Amino acid sequence: MIELDNITKTYTKGAVTTQVLKGISFRIEAGEYTAIMGTSGTGKSTLMNILGCLDKPTAGHYRLDGIDMVNLDDKALSQLRNRKIGFVFQQFHLLDRTTALRNVMLPLIYADRYPNDAEDLAKKALEAVGLSDRIMHRPGELSGGQQQRVAIARALITDPEIILADEPTGNLDERSGLEIMAIFKRLHRSHKTIIMVTHDQKVAEHADRIIVLKDGLIAFDRKVATPHKPENRLQELADKEGRK
Amino acid sequence: MSCIARCMRIAGEGVRALLANKLRTFFMMAGTIAGIAALIIIMSIGKGVEKKVMKRVSGFGTDVIMVTAGGGKGFSPPQEGITTLRMEDAEAIRAQVQGVIAPFAVKRDVAVKSGSSQTQTTVVAGEPSFHEAWGWYTIEGDPLAAEDVATLARVCVLGKNLVKDLFGTENASSVIGEYVQINNIRFKVKGVLESRGQTPMGDDFDSRLLIPLSTGLRRTFNQDYITNIRIKVKDTGQLVPMGNQIRELLHERHHITPPQEDDFAIFSAAEIAKMARGVSRTLTILLIALAGLSLLVGGVVLMNILLISVGERTKEIGLRRAVGAGRRDILWQFLAESLAVTFLGMLLGSSFGLGVCLILGKFTKVPMVVSWEPFALAIAFACLVGLFFGVQPARRASRLHPVEALR
Repeated sequence: MIELDNITKTYTKGAVTTQVLKGISFRIEAGEYTAIMGTSGTGKSTLMNILGCLDKPTAGHYRLDGIDMVNLDDKALSQLRNRKIGFVFQQFHLLDRTTALRNVMLPLIYADRYPNDAEDLAKKALEAVGLSDRIMHRPGELSGGQQQRVAIARALITDPEIILADEPTGNLDERSGLEIMAIFKRLHRSHKTIIMVTHDQKVAEHADRIIVLKDGLIAFDRKVATPHKPENRLQELADKEGRK
Repeated sequence: MSCIARCMRIAGEGVRALLANKLRTFFMMAGTIAGIAALIIIMSIGKGVEKKVMKRVSGFGTDVIMVTAGGGKGFSPPQEGITTLRMEDAEAIRAQVQGVIAPFAVKRDVAVKSGSSQTQTTVVAGEPSFHEAWGWYTIEGDPLAAEDVATLARVCVLGKNLVKDLFGTENASSVIGEYVQINNIRFKVKGVLESRGQTPMGDDFDSRLLIPLSTGLRRTFNQDYITNIRIKVKDTGQLVPMGNQIRELLHERHHITPPQEDDFAIFSAAEIAKMARGVSRTLTILLIALAGLSLLVGGVVLMNILLISVGERTKEIGLRRAVGAGRRDILWQFLAESLAVTFLGMLLGSSFGLGVCLILGKFTKVPMVVSWEPFALAIAFACLVGLFFGVQPARRASRLHPVEALR
């Protein structure tokens, strides 16, 4: 469970101070699928970094499963990220010259306990995102959609409770994007907490809940009555192609 | 345990990065390879030279004082025509100083014949004490005897190599009783000396020829002075005070008052070792410093490439931070990378240096002693260079803020 309590973030550059987040409070229950929306410059990336324990708020409290991360040091935060959070980035951030398998195994390097069957785990994670035939491929040999799926497998390898996705479909064509959304849907069904930052309304509609930021504050926070089903749209695309 | 395993995994990531970019890794290593190879070669040659020197000095004898006619600071064979050193000086020393006193006269390039074989060699005219003072005895036949000196006997004892040069045989016992001609005077061979190797200055001891002192002075050299007095002491601690005592005695006898220049010189093993080393030790130290310098330059190059690499891999660092690497983990990864580079460079440089040493030792006359010390030093240097020049880039990498790094 995620609890934000009056989070603010201020950047100081020389004499200029900019308050990017001006007091954000919300709760996300375990297993929720939430989209955070907002135009660029509204602080959604900053919020994402704080949610991912990559950055600390200037003021306020952020409790992750009851632990206030504001009080944790670098080492504890790193361990927290390793155990509880899986990141999916817009630019994938895979290590080049490194096979999909090793990319997926990367978080395990930093785990307290390295599983004996690390390689099997990574293979299974790649299988789960439909890449069992791309295990030894390097990022340069994969399409964007495939790269993002490797990144998702990497995010899942430590079996975290939370998946944090920052514009996961931003660099992908519609079809690949929908495939990613389909995977997220599946993860949601297996009770992962998913938080996805996007500026794209259509993408956000896949989630159960949308939080919209404006000027560093929450503009509104609503449930989505009928979330998009990526499978439907994928079927449409397939039909269209079949007709051609 | 799990902590150590984790450290090993992270170090493995550093090594993986090195393997992924072999050319860059080679550039990082080049300085270490060259520096370590140079270090190994120079130290091995230095040790070889030292061993050669010590062998020669031990050939000279470590428990003796040598008085040489003629002044000068360098240790050298006595100069021709210096007539100041006399038997009376030896007697005076014998009266004052405990030890084996052996006066002798040396003449170089004396013509020695046997049948049709002829050679030029160094003839030494000495007393029976010569054998004991030099610790140099006969392997065949008899040594010089007091009787030989008393009767001006025309007998000689041959150095081992002379047997071959004059009689064309390796069999020393077969030449006993044969005759050689020294300056056209016939001498009967009564003994053959054991092998002794080279003098500190690189002459061959074993092609020398020994005759009785009295015979030498009166019949062969026709002179009334000697060239050397060798004093063998019981206690090497006595070398310095005894040397001073002899110097004072000779000053008095030769009416020399410093700062007037001596007409004799006194040496012991320590001084001879110093001179025989000559500039070689200074040169070795200088060259080792040069090898150190190349290691230093190599280290700076390594540091720069690592710094560039940190800049290029900002995103990778950010990602590693996101998936759970702490600051220390990043620091350790880059430090491990640096250490792996210098350690591998050390292995390659050591092998290369060892190879060069073995080849030089086998195919040239360059003195060479391969020992463990340079390799131990190489390991220490490699670790030091890796740590020292790796810390700065590693710190820079670890201080990157994950958010900035991922941007």
